[in-house]
Amino acid sequence: MSILVIGLSHRSSPVTIRERFAFAEARVPAVLQMLRETGIAQEAVILSTCNRVEIYAATELEPRQGFASLREFLVTCHDYREPLTDEIYSLGEPQSIHHLFKVACGLDSMVLGETEILGQLKKAYDTALQAGHTGVRLNKAFQRAFNVAKQVRSTTNIQRGSVSVGSVAVELAEKIFNALNDRDVMVIGAGDTSEKTARALLSRGARSILVSNRSHDKAVALAGELGGRAIRFEEWSKEFANIDIVISSTSAPHYLLDRARLEPLMKARRNRPLLVIDIAVPRDIEPEVNLMPNVYLYNIDDLQAIADDYLKLRSEEIARCEKIIREKAEGLLRHSGQRGPEGAGHPALSHKGAN
Amino acid sequence: MWFANDRHVFALAVIVYGLSMVYSVLLWRKGFRQDNRVNYWLLLVAFGLHTTSMVQRGYRLNHCPVSNLYEATGFVCWTIVTAYLVVGFWSRLRFLGAFASPVLFAIGVFALMPGLDPRAGVSEAPAPDVWTSLHAALMSLSYGAFGLSSVAGLMYLTQEHNLKFRKLQAVISLLPPIQRLEAAVGRLLLAGFVLLTVGLALGAYDLALTEHPHARPGGDLKIIWSGAVWALYLGLVVMRWKFAQGGRRFALGAIGSFVFVLLTFWGSNLLSPIHHP
Repeated sequence: MSILVIGLSHRSSPVTIRERFAFAEARVPAVLQMLRETGIAQEAVILSTCNRVEIYAATELEPRQGFASLREFLVTCHDYREPLTDEIYSLGEPQSIHHLFKVACGLDSMVLGETEILGQLKKAYDTALQAGHTGVRLNKAFQRAFNVAKQVRSTTNIQRGSVSVGSVAVELAEKIFNALNDRDVMVIGAGDTSEKTARALLSRGARSILVSNRSHDKAVALAGELGGRAIRFEEWSKEFANIDIVISSTSAPHYLLDRARLEPLMKARRNRPLLVIDIAVPRDIEPEVNLMPNVYLYNIDDLQAIADDYLKLRSEEIARCEKIIREKAEGLLRHSGQRGPEGAGHPALSHKGAN
Repeated sequence: MWFANDRHVFALAVIVYGLSMVYSVLLWRKGFRQDNRVNYWLLLVAFGLHTTSMVQRGYRLNHCPVSNLYEATGFVCWTIVTAYLVVGFWSRLRFLGAFASPVLFAIGVFALMPGLDPRAGVSEAPAPDVWTSLHAALMSLSYGAFGLSSVAGLMYLTQEHNLKFRKLQAVISLLPPIQRLEAAVGRLLLAGFVLLTVGLALGAYDLALTEHPHARPGGDLKIIWSGAVWALYLGLVVMRWKFAQGGRRFALGAIGSFVFVLLTFWGSNLLSPIHHP
């Protein structure tokens, strides 16, 4: 009995197709039951997330026959009648095991190294396990996948760092301030990214939030959503003495804050550190303010560059992760009485691999 | 270590401090991105050798070895490495060794300079009186605190530079938040200043008791020097707490003051009839 994988992911198909193949959570046990009753698979797990739909099946069928049957099952299940080319991939052993491990480790995710997929995979496995649709082969494979994910997380940097602008801003704040729970945040301009950044800071414990916008109504609305206080646009500098973090995203065509204006404000703040996040284009804050003592200025490009650098660092870890995955997959296949990639008992098939 | 005298053992410790400093350069280049135990172990070995040399000398002289410049400087060094080994117990703070080892190496080399240790070959020496011992111990501890303060200042400047100009490095490094570093510089400096003040007061009291001929204002270079160092650190304390001058200037002040102490300590001591009769 070998483990086969068939499915679609963000790498192989657009969302317009993926959404057609998605399984509603409540429907999964019934589909698994159906799949086993057809005799295609003796054990099965269905993973359905916004970025992938995959069936992991332990089957006694020959791989080619198994792939054809699983593909037919998947298409029929969703009543999909349009032509398909390379959107669906099929993987036989040992690639199927490698793929499962890579998915668990976040190596196949849209955001490299993200951890949400591991929780989704555990849930998918648990659903199948509870309904009695897994057996010795899939149980071992999934348990090993979770162990590999843990090992990869603890021994490599694949999950290190933030890859979104909001979370990078939070990380920077945590490198400047002792703690965020006694910090006050001011949002100038009620844009979408500034809202997300403010939310990220609030989620890490920022004490209070002030919102100022040219349209006071918008400021009031955003302050209401964030649980903060709205202030009139003309008055934001009066509140500055108590502020530790400023997020600016207005559409002003000129600098809102320059060095000459900030210097007296900093004196009023007794030179406490100030984090200024300027996500406006054109910029709201004069770049010169970064040269002032105790002022730390980041614009949207700085934040994006850090996020990109983090992704680059993660990419550099791929080789280390894959080495661990390869060793663990070979170990699992040896343990299961199968042979590894050098001499598989049956040809390893890969139709439009996801990796 | 029966085959070596205490100075030889201390020299070995300084060599290991030097190895740790070389290793620290690698950690700096990597931007403190990893917890590195090697440095901790190197400093632990150096600490073992350093402690052995102090114990050897203490047994040989039959009293606490903090009565001349070599011994006092060695004690400052020992205070710094002990403090590091305690805080380095937490893996997140272990990177501090990369900042401490250059300071330890510099102090160690300074302590080994000729002329600082007139009791190198002495088998037993009369124990100094209790006030002299207390004065020497408190002064050594205060310089240890100033040394640590300058180490924290160095970390502050590194992290500040990263936060302003090497932004990815700032977030991936293991350095603590800049505000915490600033607080560490201030607290260590204040602790050192209190110890220095008490140490100088005890020294003055001791001189008054012994009625030393040079014990008068302007009568001994080391006394003038100590007054200048005290005023220097008082200036920093006032600058910090009265005028809210934290951050970069304060960190530079802490580092600069300690460098001044390191560079002038030996000379002022040699020219002092009280400390170098």
